[in-house]
Amino acid sequence: MNDAIEVSDLTKQYGRPGTGVLAVDHIGFQVHEGEIFGFLGPNGAGKTTTQRMLTTLLEPTEGHIVIFGHDLARDAYAVKRQMGLVPEESNVYTELTAWDNLMFTARLYRVPRGERAVRAQQLLETFGLWEKRKVKAQDFSRGMRRRLSIAMGIIHRPSLLFLDEPTAGLDAHSVRSIRDLIRQLKAEGTTVFMTTHQIEEANQLCDRVAIINQGRIAAIDTPERLKAAFRRVQSVEVALETNRQAHGQALAALPGVTTAVKMGDKWRLYTEDPSALLPQVMDYARAQEVKVISLSTLGPSLEDVFLEITGQPVGTVQPQPQQDRPGRPGMGGRR
Amino acid sequence: MKQGNLQRIADELGQAWTVIVKDMKVYYLQPGMVMFGLFMPFFMFLSFSVRREMGAATGVARLLALTTFFTAAAAGPFIIPLERRVGTYDRLLAAPMSLLTLLLGKTAVGAFFGIGVSAISLVVGVAAFGATVANPWLLVAGVVLGSFSFSALGLIFGSIPTRNPGDVQMPSTLLRWGLLFVSGVFIPLAEMAPAAQAVAYFSPLTYAQDLMNHSVLGTSVLGPWVDVAVLLASGILFLVPSLWMHRRGRRLGY
Repeated sequence: MNDAIEVSDLTKQYGRPGTGVLAVDHIGFQVHEGEIFGFLGPNGAGKTTTQRMLTTLLEPTEGHIVIFGHDLARDAYAVKRQMGLVPEESNVYTELTAWDNLMFTARLYRVPRGERAVRAQQLLETFGLWEKRKVKAQDFSRGMRRRLSIAMGIIHRPSLLFLDEPTAGLDAHSVRSIRDLIRQLKAEGTTVFMTTHQIEEANQLCDRVAIINQGRIAAIDTPERLKAAFRRVQSVEVALETNRQAHGQALAALPGVTTAVKMGDKWRLYTEDPSALLPQVMDYARAQEVKVISLSTLGPSLEDVFLEITGQPVGTVQPQPQQDRPGRPGMGGRR
Repeated sequence: MKQGNLQRIADELGQAWTVIVKDMKVYYLQPGMVMFGLFMPFFMFLSFSVRREMGAATGVARLLALTTFFTAAAAGPFIIPLERRVGTYDRLLAAPMSLLTLLLGKTAVGAFFGIGVSAISLVVGVAAFGATVANPWLLVAGVVLGSFSFSALGLIFGSIPTRNPGDVQMPSTLLRWGLLFVSGVFIPLAEMAPAAQAVAYFSPLTYAQDLMNHSVLGTSVLGPWVDVAVLLASGILFLVPSLWMHRRGRRLGY
């Protein structure tokens, strides 16, 4: 498999060494052609800085970036022709109509004159904006601007698409349509480099993910392999008939439990050995004469892996802005 | 020249034109800017003519130089920081065109606005005040070259690595008003003290005013070809600091 992106020793130092900020610290990775590559990390980890270096917007302090065989430092023009960029902020021209925004981008990327209108119409129809094509973007909702911004990013049919937090802050319908589009782009052969802090999104979409923390790559692999490598963050989830705080303290004290976290009406008990913990939980319930409503084992979620790698204790589940997840946040990989 | 290079040049020219048209629609053809362009020349002319013993031709020569100077560099210093703030500048920087093409497009759109408003000033000067133009071709050259030079000067401030238009407002305003008083607009170059003249030679407005004087009144201090050469050279040279600051901005993350 050919590599779309090859990064080696990439570094970004703001200010002077020692007194400045080392935002990206000698990282290296490859993105294969045709894959969706997720770039995960907490805020300030270096995700956006890395993406800005990959898209020529920021000059690296050290290191090399090769995209489709072109050294970015020497032949940025050849790379720019093949790449599309959709930043986190929907950077559409609010004073222009949806149609004018698309035509501007098509002209900027030298889309052949005869194809501009056809492609613009196709994209506006795909994104449900055809009826609003004559409306200025200043009158669009956040989701509509996001869709328009993505349409502007792909009107020239790039081979490599950079997406920065593609679904952040959008409603469930917009999230679903954008995720479907990303899958469709992959099916058509587009390589997608996606930065996100929405772990479940990376879990659903990405062929491989890299987790960056404090400017360094902490792990790169497929979501499933990453989860498999972190067996110590498996857990047992139990719901008891009476939901007393004392149960939590007692369950946390059971042998093999590393952390106990209350999740709604359930307790999640993190352990390296769920099979050994299950009978102990049942014994505890019998001893307390309390009925077990539900009991299940959970494999490590990508979020657990992320928290483990980034040095945050598992179970400190952070609320996600994502709106199409009716279940518990961050709970993937139920087995 | 290779076919590929010719295609690249054609592409870059097309992209510069795309930037010009976009900036015209987004910034220069907005109601506020149109009103500014229409009314500014009238106010300028009134400020010159009230209680002054000045002929119509002299007034028109000064009015043209001032209009070109103020309008060509009116929006340039603020557009790029504004685009940086809302993220649209990244779209331009990431596009497959050279930085020089982008800056040429940005310079040209300011220049076109200056040329358009100057044309209105000229019509007002000729139609309402009966001014005559001694050399129309030099006048066109003065307006066009002056507009490009002043627009490129304004772009230097727009290239300062910042996302806050307010950061460039003070230095660009100070420079423009400073140049106004040392460039032979209020006090003719020939009547200036030698020290003041030495300062005036560093201002592109001096050469625009001198060229306007020659083309409208038929007399000048420096000679029209010196003026043309300096305006042309300054329009090109002013792009150098803009390029340098953009490269610095790329290192700093702007």
